[in-house]
Amino acid sequence: MIQKQKISCNVMIIGAGFAGMTACARASELGLKTVIAGNSSQFYFTSGLFDLLGVYPPAEGNVLKTPEEGYVILKKELPDHPYSKTGLKQVQNSFEFITRFLKSAGLEYRSSSSGNISVLTGAGTFKPSFLVPETIKKCQMINQGRKLLIIDFKGLNGFSAKQVAAGLKKKYAAPHTLSIKLSTQKDVRAPVHLASMFENSDFPEQIARKISSSGFKADILGMPAVCGINRSLDVLRKLEKKTNLEIFEIPMMPPSIPGLRLKNAFEKQLSKINRVWFLNQAKIESPVMNENKFILNAVNQNMVTRIEADCVILASGRFQSKGLFAHRKKIFEPLFNLPVYQPEHRNLWHHRNFFEKKGHMINSAGIETDNLFRPVDSYGSVIHKNLYAAGAILAHNDWTRLKSGSGVSVVSACTAVNDFYNRHKPNSGSSSE
Amino acid sequence: MNMETDILIIGGGVTGTGIARDLTLRGFNVILVEKKDLNAGASGGNHGLLHSGARYIHSDPEAAKECQQEQKILKKLAGHCIEETGGLFVAVKGDELNYIQDFPMLCEKSGIEAKAVDPGKALEMEPALSKDIIAAYQVNDASINPFKLSIENMNSAIASGSSCLMHTKIENFKIENKKIIYAVARDETGGKTIKIRAKAYINASGAWAKKVAAMAGITVNMVFSMGSLLVTDKRVTRRVINRLRVPADGDILVPGGVVSILGTTSIRIKEPDRAYPSVDEVDRIIEQGEQMIPALKESRYIRAYSGVRPLVSMGGDGDDRDVSRGFTLLDHEKEGVKNFITITGGKLSTYRLMAEKTSDIACRKLGIRKKCITAITPLPSTIDGEWSEPAVFSEKSNDLETLQDSYLCECEMVPEKAVHRVIDAIKNSGGCPGLESIALRTRIGKGTCQGTYCSSRVISYLCSRDDYRTDNTLKDLKRFLNERWKGEHSLLWDQTLVHSSLKEMIHCGLFCLETEGESY
Repeated sequence: MIQKQKISCNVMIIGAGFAGMTACARASELGLKTVIAGNSSQFYFTSGLFDLLGVYPPAEGNVLKTPEEGYVILKKELPDHPYSKTGLKQVQNSFEFITRFLKSAGLEYRSSSSGNISVLTGAGTFKPSFLVPETIKKCQMINQGRKLLIIDFKGLNGFSAKQVAAGLKKKYAAPHTLSIKLSTQKDVRAPVHLASMFENSDFPEQIARKISSSGFKADILGMPAVCGINRSLDVLRKLEKKTNLEIFEIPMMPPSIPGLRLKNAFEKQLSKINRVWFLNQAKIESPVMNENKFILNAVNQNMVTRIEADCVILASGRFQSKGLFAHRKKIFEPLFNLPVYQPEHRNLWHHRNFFEKKGHMINSAGIETDNLFRPVDSYGSVIHKNLYAAGAILAHNDWTRLKSGSGVSVVSACTAVNDFYNRHKPNSGSSSE
Repeated sequence: MNMETDILIIGGGVTGTGIARDLTLRGFNVILVEKKDLNAGASGGNHGLLHSGARYIHSDPEAAKECQQEQKILKKLAGHCIEETGGLFVAVKGDELNYIQDFPMLCEKSGIEAKAVDPGKALEMEPALSKDIIAAYQVNDASINPFKLSIENMNSAIASGSSCLMHTKIENFKIENKKIIYAVARDETGGKTIKIRAKAYINASGAWAKKVAAMAGITVNMVFSMGSLLVTDKRVTRRVINRLRVPADGDILVPGGVVSILGTTSIRIKEPDRAYPSVDEVDRIIEQGEQMIPALKESRYIRAYSGVRPLVSMGGDGDDRDVSRGFTLLDHEKEGVKNFITITGGKLSTYRLMAEKTSDIACRKLGIRKKCITAITPLPSTIDGEWSEPAVFSEKSNDLETLQDSYLCECEMVPEKAVHRVIDAIKNSGGCPGLESIALRTRIGKGTCQGTYCSSRVISYLCSRDDYRTDNTLKDLKRFLNERWKGEHSLLWDQTLVHSSLKEMIHCGLFCLETEGESY
């Protein structure tokens, strides 16, 4: 039996990834009635690190100490990049907002006063990020002459302490490594299982004993990012106390626990606000654009929700989350059939070298917008005054090479919501401009 | 380092490994050197089709006959490397009627049984076929696993005392009194130089035969014809499907275990290295293939690759398909190097015959009369050879499960223990365990995730062992991902694009591998 319901709202957000969730957080804070539909399990694929601008120019592979030094050139070279529309200050303000929001959900993020943070990854490489979970922050202590120990867990696939050590060895003294064998029968192959075990009261103690009995003399300890799920910072502190070591987590490949923490934090916090409806796993169908209203159907298993919204924020991501779809000859935006900026022929989509520093041209494909992130047509005219696009779906934004994914998401989401709010304050009595 | 042997074989494709086994069975000791790894050239870049011969009846009836005879021998003696799929030749509306008419007669001339099948019946046999079929013939094509074939041939030679050196490249020959005295080879992993002294030297380096022969001062005129193939994510037909027309692009679909392989093309290239399919080639293959099998238009393709056909030039500039696919066997005695032989060209289907003829000459040179027994001696099946096969693999992993093992590759279900055993096998056969050599011998990197996860997991696993040099970690990972990428970048739309985006997200977005070291 399929049930039907109707919701009317100010803001309809399509996509429950980082951009969608940020837009939702912002809209609800401004008192807007908000519906968000999408699949939040995409968070398992995000590192949980908030990048602003880590590499520029990408062709030179220039890793940036501060986003500012790269932005100066980016603004000149890429006038269509989302940052060129907003300026860097706006990105930082948006990050501040989202940090506050996540803190209220119990998830702490930190930035560094000196700019980008060099985060040690599970591949033994360093990634320039801007705002990182408190549990990862202490990776900054690596270069301060302290003795380092890296641990891994037998059975946790895809993370080897020796691999991380091999990467570190190129820049710093070789760290000690320790592989911890767990006595538990429980399956630790999946990071989620291991992370949940860390929340058991005696588990961190057990691990601490194994570390202490290894006899390694160390000051700091790096471990895979599996240190608990919902109380990660408490667990980490506990482990630090028991081992007498400074500890940091090392992000590894998906499923990402820091990503899961983000997902949980957003969901927990947004569920407390009754102006917000979260239609998880719902698929949006047959949207209609009128002059002042959008009408859409959100469909999940046994419920069809008819939504009337004053404004739509399209934060449906790229190919993986189906915000964009590539046919053999062309790239589409499947929901509104918005024009997609793209290279002319598939020949140009990808370079023959996967690691091409300049990046693949397909990653610049996406939706082109005005300075307020409203999609425009081929003449540059706004398609609908209250239709916005935010996050990875935006054109001219190769975030994998520039290390700028989170920054683009927050700033476009916040800019879009702020603009709609400024033009349509709900209690002003008018819903038109 | 110095080594000594009866016969040195250069090239680790099916021909080289076939010769290694042939000569070993005749009682000789051989060393096989390969500059990369097994089947790195055309032996690994083909359809895996054991030809009935019917494709060549028009252009090369002699080769057609050889195919037919050889495939019967191989089915009997190397059955574990073969799936007897059977084959169909089908013509669609618009195909040349004369060719269709002559087909059964020409088949008969080459000793190939071709049974006419009513188009309606053909559709019943293979529901994926186009409704526009106007003629169909059934032949005894089959599919063959070239990797397994080379591994088993080499293992058989090794079991009788011969040896092979992977990643070992011949650099020059020392020639005195019209004879090669020794060959100088370089170990490409460690950089060591090896002097190999033999009584005879066989150049079985396929498309690289010209280069190797030149080191002995001999000119072999060759042309290189690149053929590209696409791998679907699912098996599309039960049988081999050939287009019933003069051989052209995109007209053969061969099932290979759980996938199907569509090809090929024929493009003249200058150098045999670095051959990869382009976007245009991919589109052309699909557009041709969909005429026989409409589903190929919307199929998901997981990989594309190219092989280089080494063809010895006979002059003229017709289609490369007109140059004989028959093999070229050159005794260089008349050019002044008495103990040097080159074997090149030919087909996967006739590799055994090529090995036999080559070994015959080698025997003569050594002055020892020994008969070839590969046409009557079954090719043994070893456990190392099994790993390259998808279906067998899951059965095998079942009994490995008792070891409470975890999977390093979840798409293709490759357990850690299997990788452990493959590493042992690589070490035993003179190879160098690394991500690429493991992937060549297992299903690692061949599943839907395009190596995104399994590459990292295998690297982590290797790092946790003591027999892997962790200094190579990132280099190994980058090289592997980039090699796979060359076979993917022309196929990235729809779902495959989704997977490649994830790969880029993890390996570039998070791990920042593009900013590390050199790019490959």
